[in-house]
Amino acid sequence: MRPHLLRAATGKAGKSALPADAGRVQPRAAPLSITRRHVAGGRAGELWAGLHLPGINPQKLQQLAVCAQRFTPRVSLAPPDGLLLEVQGSLHLFAGVAGLRGALRSECLRLQVQPVLAFAPAALAALVAARAGKPLAVMDPAQLTGQLAPLPLASLRWPPDTLARLARMGVRTIGAALRLPRAGFARRVGSEQLAMLDVLTGRMPEARVTFHAPERFRRRRELDCELENHALLLAALAPLFADLGAFLRARQCGVVELECRLTHRHVPATRCVVRLAAPATDVHRLAGLLGERLNALDLPEPARACELRADALVPYLPGSNALWQPGEHGGSAGNEACGLIERLRARLGSGAVHGLTGLPAHRPENAWALTEPPPAAGRRGVHAGCSAEVPAAVRRPLWLLPAPQPLGVRDGLPRRRGPLRLIGEPERIETGWWDGGEIARDYYTAIDLHGVRLWVFRERAAPHRWFLHGVFG
Amino acid sequence: MDREAKLARLLEHPAIWRGRSAAHQQGGLPTGFAALDAYLPGYGWPRTGLIEILVSRFGSGELYLLLPALAALTRARCARWCVWVAPPLMPFAPALASQGMVLDRVAVVNGARPLWALEQALGSGACDVALAWVRQVKAREIRRLQLAAERGRTLGVLFRPRRAAREATAAVLRLSLQPTITGVRITLLKGRGALRGAVDLLRPDWPV
Repeated sequence: MRPHLLRAATGKAGKSALPADAGRVQPRAAPLSITRRHVAGGRAGELWAGLHLPGINPQKLQQLAVCAQRFTPRVSLAPPDGLLLEVQGSLHLFAGVAGLRGALRSECLRLQVQPVLAFAPAALAALVAARAGKPLAVMDPAQLTGQLAPLPLASLRWPPDTLARLARMGVRTIGAALRLPRAGFARRVGSEQLAMLDVLTGRMPEARVTFHAPERFRRRRELDCELENHALLLAALAPLFADLGAFLRARQCGVVELECRLTHRHVPATRCVVRLAAPATDVHRLAGLLGERLNALDLPEPARACELRADALVPYLPGSNALWQPGEHGGSAGNEACGLIERLRARLGSGAVHGLTGLPAHRPENAWALTEPPPAAGRRGVHAGCSAEVPAAVRRPLWLLPAPQPLGVRDGLPRRRGPLRLIGEPERIETGWWDGGEIARDYYTAIDLHGVRLWVFRERAAPHRWFLHGVFG
Repeated sequence: MDREAKLARLLEHPAIWRGRSAAHQQGGLPTGFAALDAYLPGYGWPRTGLIEILVSRFGSGELYLLLPALAALTRARCARWCVWVAPPLMPFAPALASQGMVLDRVAVVNGARPLWALEQALGSGACDVALAWVRQVKAREIRRLQLAAERGRTLGVLFRPRRAAREATAAVLRLSLQPTITGVRITLLKGRGALRGAVDLLRPDWPV
């Protein structure tokens, strides 16, 4: 294979939004000498296929880029709607340009995308021709400028005001722009645009980033005998976990979702998915979590084969371990906290763990909310809920009932397993007409026969019912 | 007088070990109430281990008793979590915040297996303190919880009904709580080097 420029793909697995210049190498990213030598050397024998795919979404573009690697290892993205393939070496495999064009078109149609295809010795030229809707096939670099000349300047996607200025000068095609004096063009339009024209005509090399398909992990193991016991299944999965560990270590990646599929003789495969609070590489932890999930699982039939899948890999930077154990000399808990959440969620369900926050609202029901579990490491100085702190003078119970609970009444006074003694001044909390939750209540502190302090209220509206709303505790 | 002085001098001898002095050497977690600090062995709550608080009724002042210590733990520089396992009602966030608790250190766990969740929280090392409300616990399970708390360097607090006082326990500390007109009365039922008697705490913000 011809030497060419490589750079780590910017969009790794699962990234849907690509930056507009994802396929282009930034000028400072590669040393100039390398760029010149490799790219200029290969330029003479290059043939690029440019695909213009109007209306494609980023996911489909990635998908198509993966499929396109069947034709050539040098695939480059030109977001939002372009794809470039270097196909010089593949031409003879597909019986020339016509055969390749047909194969590429059918690949696109399989993904329900209607492509415009153009071939040119320069990548940008192929893309611009495709954008202009011209299915050119320029094989000879000498003919490139002549073939590009009638194409509209708009397909270069320059800023609209630049295009408008050029249009006022009567310059509407690429040919007309190329005929302008270089120095004047650079001064009046911009040196960036001039450089782009040079790239377009092949006068200057362009280095493009090669697309790398996102990696995924899949391993399957046929079991020697059918297994139903969870512990034995987990033991059978151990070699797969060892493979996963080596796979992740080699790529410095972690997983956030792990799927285990158990294949049965008659019924469809059982899926068991472990979702993690943070990217994980530690396979012992993953195996432990999967064990929790398997324990909760009711298998319809013994399993004949098991498969481990991790589709989305995320880059993982291992943190350094603390010198102190958590809780020892102020050592903080990082991994332990994530592990705790995952274990609790694996067994009790995803809604089992919550955080708490206060909200700035005057009605007690609206003054708090459940949140996601708190972060592992304490943030110092930033405390959610500080804004919602009630003034110290206002007494609020430590416990709130999910909904006010009606109380019995005798002689106009509330009762709860005996009469309640009201103490102190009432506090009036009312209104909320703007969201339909209007209230008008007088809150009292009450003591029951056992000395427990309760937060009760009396409705101000007609039946004047009494409710229990909190316990001081 | 002369005899008492002699006795005091004799007791200062390093060969004489008295249970209470040993308990007082380690620094406990200040409770926020001077009278209670003096009453508890270790001058405060233990930092590690399980304590049991027995109450006749939910809401007798048991949470009030713990709040200053909880607030201090959550405000620490490298604070770990404060986990509430299976609370009978929802802790009211604004009231906790006004008592000085940092809410982003608080996690609430609900679910079918409170004891298992408590053991996980205690043993994980991710929590400074784990509170749990459970009705029925066997002595064997309390022993497991106590071991988990020691493993994770965590303070576990178990709230139980008063009738549990008859059962044996492996917890470090067992207190019984009774509401009074002006506050709460605390009786220490079990503790290493504990004092006898009870202590009454006044609640200054408590209207009578």
